[in-house]
Amino acid sequence: MASHGITRVADSTVRSVESRQRELQQIAAYKDLVDIVNTKVAERWYTIEVLALVTKLLNENPEYYTIWNHRRRILGSLLSESLSGAPDSQKQKQPAEDLINSDLQLTFGLLRKFPKCYWIWNHRHWILQKAESLLDVTTARRLWLGELQLVSKMLHSDSRNFHAWNYRRFVVTQLERIPVSATPLPDATPSKQSLAESEFEYTTKMIKTNLSNFSAWHNRSRLIPRLLDEREADIATRRKMLDDELALICTAVNTDPFDQSIWYYHQFLMSTLSPDCPRQSRLALDLSNQDRQRYYEHEMEYIREILEDEEDCKWIYEALLHCASSYLDIDGGTKTFTTVDMRSWLDALKRLDPLRKGRWDELSRSLNL
Amino acid sequence: MSLVSGPGRGGMTDLPEELRLFVDKHVSYIQSLDTRKDELEYWLTEHLRLNGLYWGLTALHLLGHPDALPRHEVVDFVLSCMHESGGFGAAPGHDAHMLYTVSGVQILATLDAFDDLEARVKSGRQRIGQYIADLQDPESGTFAGDEWQEKDTRFLYGALNALSLLGLLHLVNVDKAVEHVQSCANFDGGYGTSPGAESHAGQVFTCLGALTITGRLDLVDKDKLGAWLSERQLKNGGLNGRPEKKEDVCYSWWVLSSLAMLNKVHWIDGKKLASFILHCQDPELGGFADRPGDMVDVFHTVFGIAGLSLLKFPGLAEVDPVYCMPRVVTKRCLGQ
Repeated sequence: MASHGITRVADSTVRSVESRQRELQQIAAYKDLVDIVNTKVAERWYTIEVLALVTKLLNENPEYYTIWNHRRRILGSLLSESLSGAPDSQKQKQPAEDLINSDLQLTFGLLRKFPKCYWIWNHRHWILQKAESLLDVTTARRLWLGELQLVSKMLHSDSRNFHAWNYRRFVVTQLERIPVSATPLPDATPSKQSLAESEFEYTTKMIKTNLSNFSAWHNRSRLIPRLLDEREADIATRRKMLDDELALICTAVNTDPFDQSIWYYHQFLMSTLSPDCPRQSRLALDLSNQDRQRYYEHEMEYIREILEDEEDCKWIYEALLHCASSYLDIDGGTKTFTTVDMRSWLDALKRLDPLRKGRWDELSRSLNL
Repeated sequence: MSLVSGPGRGGMTDLPEELRLFVDKHVSYIQSLDTRKDELEYWLTEHLRLNGLYWGLTALHLLGHPDALPRHEVVDFVLSCMHESGGFGAAPGHDAHMLYTVSGVQILATLDAFDDLEARVKSGRQRIGQYIADLQDPESGTFAGDEWQEKDTRFLYGALNALSLLGLLHLVNVDKAVEHVQSCANFDGGYGTSPGAESHAGQVFTCLGALTITGRLDLVDKDKLGAWLSERQLKNGGLNGRPEKKEDVCYSWWVLSSLAMLNKVHWIDGKKLASFILHCQDPELGGFADRPGDMVDVFHTVFGIAGLSLLKFPGLAEVDPVYCMPRVVTKRCLGQ
């Protein structure tokens, strides 16, 4: 896209004659390469040699989407030649697996350098789907498993890269779709395997490394309800999961009450308590209003404890107001807090968070405070 | 239109006390972009040329200089990017793709050039509409970017944007598209690129835009999403795109336009945001950068100016938060 975060070091309008000359040569060489690739492809020269020129060009400019399209045109042709039995003395044949592997290498190298380039991720996606349609199930599965490792590497260098997280979810879907084994398994052994458990563990690992990783918290919010369904968890197990998650997030809040990511996950957990929460997002399924009341009371009590040390943390007041209005929604009354409390939390928000004054004013009107 | 960064650098000199918008500098900056053919960057960014033209032209219209680029040359260039299929590529010789087709339609709409299109390309509008409609996935309702089938809510929004400007929304299954947008919603009120993906301000813009175009804002949890969007503002006034990320001028557009669609622009501090955006401009050579001190480019230039327009900065034309186009243009196209 455009230039993000690039600090300018020197004024490019003042260039030496030599550097101008050098740049003009680079332009000429680049344009020659573009011309030759476009011409060859237009003439349908779908050969290994043209593929090599395409590789060279993509290494110079991975954002040039038309060249990725050309690459797929060439590969489509080479792969079908490689798999067809017909002899073609004119052309040198390459095994399909080699072609696929070299594209995986190319895109891996480029992704390390340009981790946010949509076209590279997209091509990798394409080559793997192509591979799956051409190779046997075991090989395809091995390739997709390799992708999980790749994406872990990418997330190791940037744990918030949303391309990588999207790709991770996509790879997981593929692995869950492909049978574990090419040969039939003994009765009662499922031929397909859910990765919800290991993905859940992965989010735990990521969160432990960095509490502020909202991408991991987000994924966790998506995985937990599914995990519970797959475990066929009973009422008690579901409650335990909810309690454990609340305990986990409360520890996190205590560690860094100024971090938004943590509060959003807290909001997620609280939203699952609501009677309006859809079945597929819930953790506990059997909550009565009394249970809900107990949860809200417990959270408010805990958050108020943190408040004692962190009076200037606006997220605390926001969470308290949130809990309080959920509490009122289920007609919990104002046993644990009063409207005076609510007004004081709102006043604190207005004082601590003047940027969002318009929002707090509106909230005070809607809560009749 | 080049996307080459620089030459200017945002916010390098101390601005006068009263923050100013350097209109003339920005106009000449945009006018100069296509003269930089002696820079390698110019050639390396050819795949964004048509987008760049849309960004530059829109900025000029908002700045009150709609004629700063020669109309006939712009129309010629846009039509030279059009394929038989009705789709547009980034530049002549580049493959057709949704992203450039939308920019092509937006430029033609801004220049009131749909008649020029019809005069020069037989059934031009219909062909563009059909190209876009054929990219809808009948199963999920979402849209692919091109024949290679990458799918993303960016393309869904783009499709509805262009089709509504062309008056051809009936060519697609709008209900299915809306259903898909709904399936991308998250607990925090935001939207991701696809079902299950994390909320992201850019994607919030595309999904809200799609729902506004289709008249389905009733499906949005406005308070929750408004709250999430308002939390994108950081102490320095700038906006980020996701929790715990850095501010960036382009989010002045994605976040602020979304707030505008929800009627909640007042949920953030507009004065501080305007000041942040203005600190990202280059007062000498024109253009805006993502952050003060970085290289300027035309992408951040249009989104900075459009953000200022939403904040009702004096002297700027009104921008449409759904289309990122002058409001007079969208009014004309949509018959409002």
